[in-house]
Amino acid sequence: MPGILEYQSGDTFLHRAHPLVKLLLAAVICVGGFLTQSLWVNLALLALSIVGGFALGMGRKVKASLKGAGSLCLFLFVVQLPFVRMGRTLLPLPFGLRITDLGLRYCAQLGMRLLGATLPLVLMLGVTRLSDLTNTLVAQLGIPYRYAFVITTAIRFIPVLFVEMRDVIEAQTARGVELDGSFKQKIRLIPPLCVPLLVSCVQRMENNALAAELRGFYLRKRGSGYRRYPLSAADAPALAACALILIIAIIT
Amino acid sequence: MILLENVSYAIESRELISGASLRIGQGEFAALAGENGAGKSTLLKLIMGLIKPTRGDILIQGASTRDRKVSALARTVGYLFQNPDRQLFGATIRQELSFGLDFLGVSKSDAESRVEETLGWLKLDPDRAPLSLSRGERQRVALASLFVRRPSLLLLDEPTTGLDYRECMQMMNTVARLNREDGVTVLMITHDMEIALDFAPRMLTLSGGRIIADGSTRELMRDEAMLKRASLIPAQMVALARRLGLAPGEADDADSLAEWVASSVKGGAQRAGHT
Repeated sequence: MPGILEYQSGDTFLHRAHPLVKLLLAAVICVGGFLTQSLWVNLALLALSIVGGFALGMGRKVKASLKGAGSLCLFLFVVQLPFVRMGRTLLPLPFGLRITDLGLRYCAQLGMRLLGATLPLVLMLGVTRLSDLTNTLVAQLGIPYRYAFVITTAIRFIPVLFVEMRDVIEAQTARGVELDGSFKQKIRLIPPLCVPLLVSCVQRMENNALAAELRGFYLRKRGSGYRRYPLSAADAPALAACALILIIAIIT
Repeated sequence: MILLENVSYAIESRELISGASLRIGQGEFAALAGENGAGKSTLLKLIMGLIKPTRGDILIQGASTRDRKVSALARTVGYLFQNPDRQLFGATIRQELSFGLDFLGVSKSDAESRVEETLGWLKLDPDRAPLSLSRGERQRVALASLFVRRPSLLLLDEPTTGLDYRECMQMMNTVARLNREDGVTVLMITHDMEIALDFAPRMLTLSGGRIIADGSTRELMRDEAMLKRASLIPAQMVALARRLGLAPGEADDADSLAEWVASSVKGGAQRAGHT
């Protein structure tokens, strides 16, 4: 079972689409969410990502993203809500704080924008191989290989670091470290958990950088690579959807 | 000490451990061998309580691991990971060894004496940074950081991987001393049959998540079919003794084999003299 940021094989039209078109579609949905002032458009974009995710067979990724990013959105909603002073007061709170109608709207929109920006990226990575993304970034956008490599490697490393973190937690728990102790104990847990993770990350980075250099990393040019990624007629609907979303986001 | 009763562990309907049952007594030294993916580390993690069995039960000193937190089990069980860097974080070896003793409720004076005693056999400068040591030294510091807690059971996950011969022997002699002098029970994963033969009187072999053999290391080393099934090769001395047609246990180490060769040569020479 692939992780939340890993490629999930499939044969949908988005799996077959040009990598740059997929990247563009994800970017347009993210940017559209920030351009629009309409809460309904934000809701529609979020619904589009959720329904699209399930249609692509990535319901598990959608649920995991909603759970992870959703809790962050909820936290931001609760923290910000009492501090928005504009609008009609719906509920006065102690210390001069209040909940207003505009506060509710702004905080809800902020949450939806964050969710709306997270889901398309997760889905884009689910239908695009990172190697294809790197190749097109280099060959078609002209981004230097070292930068494209850094971007895709950072994404590829997130699940690896999760596994590493889990192993470090296991190792420290086996030493008798209690993860559910008091706040003071939790502060003391920072070095046992962070130092091994940091050491392992630095070691891994150093090894990978050396290995890449020894394998001719700096020899790669824009024209290198065997695969070509031509645009096809099948990409037209996705491009049309990009244009439509952008127009709606700008006029609303 | 350790009792496994028909233990199984599965992830998403894939069974990694199937119906494992075994008993390891206090003070025993057992090796756990098998091919990669056979379930050795999973079995050790089950015993440590890091993962819970989907079926069956594991008892450590009579108490089930199901109902106990890992931090509580860590009072009596020490788990040494294959990669010591996941366990080490202290600025100095002394700090590394001292960490967590207060969590256990050990008094300051007792903690200090335990650290000093452990530093005594570790024979490393206590003010050195653990991460600046060699791989073998880091592995020994990780072992010392477990031993300072006075566990009665040590679970070792391939403790000699990546060590050179000298470091390997230092590591294994330390473990053997803890087993012999302090009565610590040891269950050690190893792919090295020479080490299993030299240090562990008992061997368990896993294949496909099942314990396929459990017995004397010397006897199991002669079970060619079982070793083949577990993708293992016998220790060189055992293989040589078998090729010479010797009975199991007759000459399975260098000294006894040398004695046998010398007596055979002497006997041969005498027979030649008579004729």
